[in-house]
Formats: sequence, C-alpha cells, structure tokens
Amino acid sequence: MKKFAYEFFLLGLICVVLAIAAFLDPLFLSSDVQIELSSEIWELGLLTLGMTLIIITAGIDLSVGSAMGLCSVSLGLCMHANLPTGVCVLACLATGLAAGALNGSLVAFIKVHPLLVTLATYGMYRGFAEGLQSATTNAPVDASEGIKALVTGNFPLIQILFTALTAWTAILLGRTATGRGLYAIGHNEEAARFSGIPIAKLKFWIYTYTGLLAGLAAISYSARRSATAEAGLVLELDVIAAVVIGGTSIYGGRGRIAGTLLGVLLIHETRQFVDWYWQRSELTLIVIGTLLILAVLGHRFLFAQDPDTH
Amino acid sequence: MSRTSKPLITIENISKSYGGVQALSKVCLNILPGEVHGLCGENGAGKSTLIKCLAGVVSPETGTITVDGKPLSHGDIHATEAAGIAVIHQESTAFLDLDLVENLFVGREIKKYGWLNRRAMERQALAVMHRLDVTLDLHTPLREFSIAQRQMVEMARACLRDCRLLIMDEPTASLSARETKTLLGLVKQLRESGVSVLYVSHRLEEIAELCDRVTVFRDGRLVATTPIDQLDRNQLIGQMVGREINALTRREEHAGQTDEVRASITGLYSRGSFSDISFEVRAGEILGIGGLVGAGRSEVARAIFGADRYDQGEIKIDGASLKKGSIQAAIEAGIAMVPEDRQHQGLILPMSVSENLSLTILTEITRHRLIHHGHETAQVQHLMRRLAVKAANAKMEAASLSGGNQQKVVLGKWLAIKPKFLILDEPTRGVDVAAKAEIHRLIRELTEAGMATLIMTSDLPELLTLSDRIQVMCEGRIAGQLDGATATEEQVMRLAFPRSEAQLT
Repeated sequence: MKKFAYEFFLLGLICVVLAIAAFLDPLFLSSDVQIELSSEIWELGLLTLGMTLIIITAGIDLSVGSAMGLCSVSLGLCMHANLPTGVCVLACLATGLAAGALNGSLVAFIKVHPLLVTLATYGMYRGFAEGLQSATTNAPVDASEGIKALVTGNFPLIQILFTALTAWTAILLGRTATGRGLYAIGHNEEAARFSGIPIAKLKFWIYTYTGLLAGLAAISYSARRSATAEAGLVLELDVIAAVVIGGTSIYGGRGRIAGTLLGVLLIHETRQFVDWYWQRSELTLIVIGTLLILAVLGHRFLFAQDPDTH
Repeated sequence: MSRTSKPLITIENISKSYGGVQALSKVCLNILPGEVHGLCGENGAGKSTLIKCLAGVVSPETGTITVDGKPLSHGDIHATEAAGIAVIHQESTAFLDLDLVENLFVGREIKKYGWLNRRAMERQALAVMHRLDVTLDLHTPLREFSIAQRQMVEMARACLRDCRLLIMDEPTASLSARETKTLLGLVKQLRESGVSVLYVSHRLEEIAELCDRVTVFRDGRLVATTPIDQLDRNQLIGQMVGREINALTRREEHAGQTDEVRASITGLYSRGSFSDISFEVRAGEILGIGGLVGAGRSEVARAIFGADRYDQGEIKIDGASLKKGSIQAAIEAGIAMVPEDRQHQGLILPMSVSENLSLTILTEITRHRLIHHGHETAQVQHLMRRLAVKAANAKMEAASLSGGNQQKVVLGKWLAIKPKFLILDEPTRGVDVAAKAEIHRLIRELTEAGMATLIMTSDLPELLTLSDRIQVMCEGRIAGQLDGATATEEQVMRLAFPRSEAQLT
C-alpha cells in the first residue's frame, strides 16, 4: 500500500475540501447539485489524460486550451453549414489531431523545447480560433441537436469515451512497452535513446493524442454551451494543476493515471464549490493556483526521500 | 617532515548504516601530517561513506573525528571547512564559464570598499600556482581547460583555503596516462608543503607510486593499514577481495576465433572527430582500440552504434549495410553498446534494476500488447544470476547499486538481446577489482561463443589482456595495429602519442 501513499493523501485532501464545503453550505454535497455540476468535469478529465503522458516525459503542453478553442470553432463552422453530425465530429477531431501533430512534430522531430513550442501555439491556436470565428459566423454557434445528444443524450458518447480512454491510458502507462518507454524518456532521455527507445515517435504520438483529446473536449464543451473561440480559455491551468497535484513529477519519470484522476476530482470539486458559493471566477483562479503550490509543497514535505541515502 | 609526529586526523569507532545496511562499522584510522594516505577497496566497501563523514556531508552514528586533538562536530560542513579539510570530487564542481581567478575565489572574493579586488586575487592566485609549480592562464574560462587542468584548479583552490587535509576521490579516473603523471606530481608537491592527502583510487599503480600508507576497506570494515613498502600488488588485491585472485592472464590461444567477418567498417569519416577509420571484427574475436582520452575512440563507437551521424564511410554487419544514425537500426542488426558514461547513457538511475535490465527486450516480453510480468521476472532473474549482480532484489533503484554492480546491469541489459557485435566503451572505469574480473570473464565467454567484440579502453592492462588484436587511435586516426598476444604497454603508448610529442619522450 506504500506505493499508493500519495493517492491516499489526495483522497484525504478531497475529503477535507468536501468537509469545508459541507460546513459552509451542506446543499453543495447533495446529489442534485453534484450531478448538475459534474458536467464540467469531462473536458478537464479528457485533457489531463494526454497531459499526464506528456509531463511524464518531462514535457508540457500549454496549448491544450487554445487547441480546444480552435476545435470548437471548426465544429461551429460545420454546424453552421448544417453538415451531418458525423462530419462535424470528424472535422472537430481532425482539427485537434492537426494541432497536436504540429506540436508533436516540432517537439519530436525539430527538437524545440516543448515549453516554447506550446507557448507559441498557445497564442497561435487561440488567434486562429478568434480570427476564424470573426471572419465567418462572428458569434458563438449553438450546438446542433445531434451534437448535444453526444453529451446529454441517453447514450452520452463523450462520457463513455472518457471512461474507456482513461482505462486504456492507464493500462498503456502501467503495463505496456510504450508506457515503460515514456517513463524512461522522462527520467533520462539520453539513456532511453541509447537503449533503443523510439523517442521521436513516442513524443510525436503523445502530443498528437493530446490534440485529439482537445477535439473531444471541444465537442463536450460546445454541446453544453456553444461552439466558440472562447472554449477552453485558461483551462490549461486546471489541466496542468490537476496532473501535477495528482503526483506526476514536472521533472518527468513519475506519475500515474490514478493520481491524475484524483487530482481532477480535487480541482473539480474545489473550482465548482468556489464558483457556486462565492460566484466569483477570479477567486477560483486564486484558489486553484494556491492549491497547486500547496500540493507541491505537501508532496515535498510528506514524501521527500532521505537525501542521505543518495 | 616528521613521520613520527602526532596524527593530524584521528578517526575513532565511526559507524554508519543506511536502512539496515552497515556502510561503515567501527572504523579507526589516523592520518599523519604531510602523509599521502591511500584508500582502497571495492565499490561499496565504505570508502565513499568515510569520505562523506570526514567532509561533514553525512553524520556517523557513533564515534569521533578529531583534528589536532580537537573534536570535529558531525555532519557540519562549515566546521569541516574551518578545520582545513577539503574534498576534490571525481567530477569537477567548477564554474565553466568563469575564469581561473574567479573560480579560485568563488564565494570568498577579496574585496576593497565593497568592490572586487581583482589585482589582489590575481596576486594570490599566482602565488598558489607557483607553490604548486603549475602554469595556467589566469584569464581563460575553465571550459577551455582539460579535465586534468580543471583538477589542478581544484587543488589550487584547496591550497588557497589553507587546507590541511585534501581528500581526492578517484582524481585520475578520466585522465590520460600523461595527465595522470602530472597530477601525481602535483600531489607529491602538496605533500612536500606539508598537506596531508587522503587518496582514493582503483589504480593500484598510482597507490604504489604515491602513497606512504594504504588502508583497505572491505564490506564497511577496515581490513588493514599498511606502509606501502611492506605490501605488494597481489597482497593488496588480496586484502580488498578477501581472497587471492589470479591477476589477469592474457588470452593465450585465440579460442573460438573464426574467419567469419561480423562487422566491417570502411573509410568512416566524421568532420572534426575522426577520419579513415577502417577495420573488421570477426566472430569470436576481441578487437581492442587504445589511445589517449580525446583520440576519437568514443566518437567512433557512437557512430557505429548510430548514436551520432557520420559524413562518409560504410558499416556492414554480416555483409549487410547499416543505416546511418539510427540506434534502433543498429540494435535490429544485432549491435549492442555499453556506453562510456554509465550514469547518464547506460542506466536510468531512478528506475529499478529490473526495469533497466528489461528496457532493451520490451517487445520480447510483451504478450498480447502487455508486458508479461512472468516473462520479465524470469529474464531479469536469469540475467542477474548470470552476471552475479549484487542487489537485495530486482526492485531496488539502480542508483543504489555500487559502480561495479551498475556496470553489470548495463552489460546485462545488452546481453539480453543476444548481440552479434558488442561495443564496449571504457567498460570497467570506476569498477572495483572483483567486478572487473567478472566483467572480463563474461566478455571472454561471450566472445568465445561467437560474438564479435570491440573494446575501447584507456586501461592499458585491460587492453593488453583482453584483446586478440589492438588498434591504437591518435588524433582521430588509426595510428597502428598490434598483435594482442605480444603487444606491450610501451608499444601502445608510442602509437598513442602524436608524433611531435613522441620525440620528446
């Protein structure tokens, strides 16, 4: 059980947040409110799956929120043109794939630092999204019934996909050669290269996968609200915070999907409660930022290894 | 200098354990003023822990350390410094972009009215270099110095701080023979000026040349402290391993050697690194490549393995041409490489022994797309037994192993792919005597079973005892070939030095 000590610590932290929430307003914990608010968790959850893989390789993707905005706009354009739901979905996912593949190529093949690559595309993708929107519809596009059905219908495809992808990503990381390779890259890229791990291929793949997830997240967001260039604004803060709070080391090599899920839960409950109780979004940003720093410090104090042994 | 004088440092009953493993147990030792005291032992014998205790990085659980009769508080770096104890580590801790003077005075700059007094610092720097009898340019950034020169800077820095005991941890591990000679001269110079030196080395020749007394450690215990003139090489090795081991013997007959060409390298050229490199390695043969540090051996090894690109030439394995600059293609073709730097290229230190060993055979142990733990464990156990890796269990971090065992793991992960052609770049650097013998035995065994082996090494006895054929590199070219059975150290060194310098010696 020692292996999962940090996960238990997170579970405790979530209980603390929920206890504070219950103390301030017991209504927050009622199932109605929780179900109502849960619709927000899917986008965050989807993006953290890819981000966990990226951060494990000691990389980062700052552009996830912007990529999601760009996907949302391309979905909006298709819906505006009354294209069939299938085509809309494909266009949205293809946009995400392309955005991710651009990040991936620059990081993996041209070997530019991921922080620089994704900082640049963070600006570019949001710019494209806004430009495209103002040049065409010039306003958010309401989701078509077909798209809405994917998220809120009897067969909520996005939620089902999220569950499946979570399981798949967890197995990939924990039990496959690919997962081993990702950890190896994160710990020591040079030694991984000397062991014949296909570094460029793996890196390209994880950024592209994260782009695809941004496409899925855009469908979820657009269905609940509307297709807009605003989609995913400052979401990268929550995504990276959830992954790091979930125990993934920003220096690479360490992290698990189980931890990430708990991180998502912690961020989600905190954000929702602050939003719901005080109804001030600026406060949420401060609280999430503080939580991130506290979690990192907590991790250091509680789980730091004895420096003597090294 | 009076050798009968009172000890400078007295260590009494020092013990230290790490998580149940006794790293040092009741060690008593004294160091006399102006003495070079050798410290020998296999990796993991307790030398590093003793150094850390002396340097105040680690505090021992029991015992006392006294300097000039005054007790030293445990685990206090500042107290150690104040007592005049300085450590020079294997890897230099200098600031590469600062010049020599800045490096010498880093953290204790001489100031005048709050400004740096560069002139005073230069004066003191010159004085200290004069004392050590070295000439180095004061204004050159350290980056442009060789590793040997950087170590001289470290020694000068220690002298500047009125150091009374200088601890040197394998200072010559990455130096060439000539640089080593200069460094040894410097240590003698220090001794003349009354500084005591605690000198840790695996190189017995250095110990014999330099030290007044030698202390041998084994399994955390002090075996003996003996004046050097009462000890011969075999006795010293015997103290270290706890049994007499036969010194390495040369390969007498070329057992298992065939005419089948495994690897053929023709006209390999890489701008600025090496040129005109052509050789063949046959199945069952060990080709040794000697030469000075910086002669381009590692670069050739890296190019063959696909870690670096090269400009011209061709590499063929079993007659098939090898794709340039792709490690995966090289591995596919049956090439394995034990790289020069095991901590950064050979191993992933924070990963377990097991994960390190299976890193090269991930596809082989995958069933239905998942890593099969049964297969993984079986393979890992097999490798650990075969290489006699000393680790509590396979789940231990590779970082926690001693240098020799780490190197066995690196070798093991490559044996796992059953290589046709094995390249070894400095395979026993910083490895203890017993592990070294074990590694040599394995290399021979595998080669006799039909593998082709290419070994690059600065360790002359290793080069001479292992190789069937020897090629010597000098300044990026092959300077000559020798027969492994008859070559001598002198012959190798004569080829290794550039022409102009060879005339001087």
